[in-house]
Amino acid sequence: MASWSGRRRILTVLAFIGPTLIGVLIFNIYPIIFNTYISFTNRNQFHPNPDCSVGLTGVLEPTCWGIFKRNAPTGFATPFHLKDPLWSNYADLMGNFFTPPVLIAFFKLIICFLPLVVAAQVNKRFSKQLDPPASPATVTLIAIVTMAIIIFVLKIPAAFDLIMKSGDFFVVTFRTILYVALCIPLFFVVGLALALLLNTPNLPGRTFFRVALIVPWAASTVAIMMSLVWKFFFQEKGTINQLLGIFGIHGQVWLNDPTIAFLVIVIANVWYSYPFFMVTILGALQSIPSELYEAAEVDGANYWQKLMKITLPLLRVAVIPVIVLSSITTFQMFGTVWAITAGGPSRGAGVPGATELVMVYAYKQVFQTNAYGLMGAFAVIIFILLFATTLYSLRISRITKGAYEA
Amino acid sequence: MNRKSSLGVRIFQYTALIIATLFAVYPVWFIILASLRASGDLYTFNLVGMFVPTAFSLDNYKAMLFTLPFLAWVKNSFFVAGFTTIACLLIATSAAFAFSRMKFYGREWGLVLFLAIQSFPGVLSLVPIAQLLTAVGLYRNHWGLILAYTAGTLIFTTMNLKGYFDTIPIDLEEAAMIDGCGPVQSFFLIALPLARPALAVTALFAFMGGWGEYVLASVLIPAPDNLKTAMVGLYQIANQVSIPWGLFASGAVMIIIPVLIVFLYLQRYLEGGLTLGGVKG
Repeated sequence: MASWSGRRRILTVLAFIGPTLIGVLIFNIYPIIFNTYISFTNRNQFHPNPDCSVGLTGVLEPTCWGIFKRNAPTGFATPFHLKDPLWSNYADLMGNFFTPPVLIAFFKLIICFLPLVVAAQVNKRFSKQLDPPASPATVTLIAIVTMAIIIFVLKIPAAFDLIMKSGDFFVVTFRTILYVALCIPLFFVVGLALALLLNTPNLPGRTFFRVALIVPWAASTVAIMMSLVWKFFFQEKGTINQLLGIFGIHGQVWLNDPTIAFLVIVIANVWYSYPFFMVTILGALQSIPSELYEAAEVDGANYWQKLMKITLPLLRVAVIPVIVLSSITTFQMFGTVWAITAGGPSRGAGVPGATELVMVYAYKQVFQTNAYGLMGAFAVIIFILLFATTLYSLRISRITKGAYEA
Repeated sequence: MNRKSSLGVRIFQYTALIIATLFAVYPVWFIILASLRASGDLYTFNLVGMFVPTAFSLDNYKAMLFTLPFLAWVKNSFFVAGFTTIACLLIATSAAFAFSRMKFYGREWGLVLFLAIQSFPGVLSLVPIAQLLTAVGLYRNHWGLILAYTAGTLIFTTMNLKGYFDTIPIDLEEAAMIDGCGPVQSFFLIALPLARPALAVTALFAFMGGWGEYVLASVLIPAPDNLKTAMVGLYQIANQVSIPWGLFASGAVMIIIPVLIVFLYLQRYLEGGLTLGGVKG
């Protein structure tokens, strides 16, 4: 389509993408800029209001703009101002992370995961060049043993404790990473297992099971309602305890136990998310030509070998984008956790609760203690992490290459 | 795969499927059971009552429909979700068409950048968005919520539609161009009619997004009662100790069942679209 050009072409393109561009600018880019600015100020419950005479505040704060001034909230508290030094919110957030002992501890933690990375690279690139060829399982096993030795020698638990004590930021971020690391494999395993079952040919009642198993996906469009149901299940007088009561067991208040509360939000999230994996994998399974399996059967391959050597490698392309997207949404999980545990159970005053994931922590800090400035800094750091991860994983999975492009 | 399944394998398959189905369906089935039980009955389930309805009280539904502003909430939700869908389709289709067909600077990395930008923690952009809408006088206003929802689903819908436009062969438009058809005409007369299936799926997702969203709605329209959306209203009911949980359940049933029916009715369609997107990605 190059027959038209010049000014007219630019205008047409602008007319087509203009509204989207404006929407993104106002509702996606503006909040990022605003938050970054706020992260350098001391805006909190004692200094909630803007001082419009300060240059950047006047520009960025909507209630400072001439025509909207009549809607501006008025208060008696002193307005917020830039911090001195500028980055002190970031410094507060990091706590004493940048002190030698904590940095050494962090370095130890990285070393601890090194064997796994090396093993992955060996499996990917060099295993075929080695003589005799090393099987992936052996390499992984060696890596895990090395990791165990490192954990023992370098006293990793103590190092981990030290990092955790250096600030809420690390507690919350590591917990969220743990949450993602627990959820995603579960999504995949449950989704894969059910897809394999549903893919069995000549299984009577297949359609019924397929529809029934998608129900959570449909229900997840009103996730907040279903989360309240999950909460009810584990309440003191909830369903689980009633069920136990029938058998004469007096159940505890499940959500008051930190570990169980954490597991409950994992289970609820698995409930919401496995159908998406299941449907994607099912679609991919049906596109694998059956000749491959027939050839393998002729060669005497058993079910497990067929699964490992044919099915899983061929699922990669379909599953990786789904894993990437799910990881990012799981990292940002808010509504479900908020409805079920609200970040609790508490582990003492001033310490994040047992299920306070990144977003729950930020929400509580902003809406309950009004720590805007500090949370601005928090958002900026999380954003940098997620932005880099997203760009990197988009590159490997090439999701953006048009979902339907061949 | 296994062309001849032995009896043992079949038994294993069905056991696994039945357990999974129970896990999948029970939470939804449970709110139906709970909604049929008046206040005190909710805590006296026996083993049978946990799986089949044994009480049939419609008190919760009556209270929900006639003494609480439930109908107003549903109407608000419909209004907001409906206009979000319309706005989304209007704005996103044209952008998707441009990203799929036109040549301009930034076409290659534009959508990637949009997608990465979306990873900004949503909870933190609540404050600036709320402030902005307060400033322009759209706080506690459905139109403010519609604006925020539309912007929120815009990137996803654009990506989705762009993917679909890519599958439509460009030959048709080229032929039309030879006959003197400009880009605007080829968008309205050729691409849009051909993209109807994708428009339907996108509309479904946009509508569901607006219908089920809670966090933004709770921040932008926390009160008064008659302006709330259904999610916010029901959430507040569920968390009030003085109100029986069964009442919430009846409201939730009335919200979830239509969603379920529509979703399951369209699931084949959805699956087809996803399969395409997933495998060839």
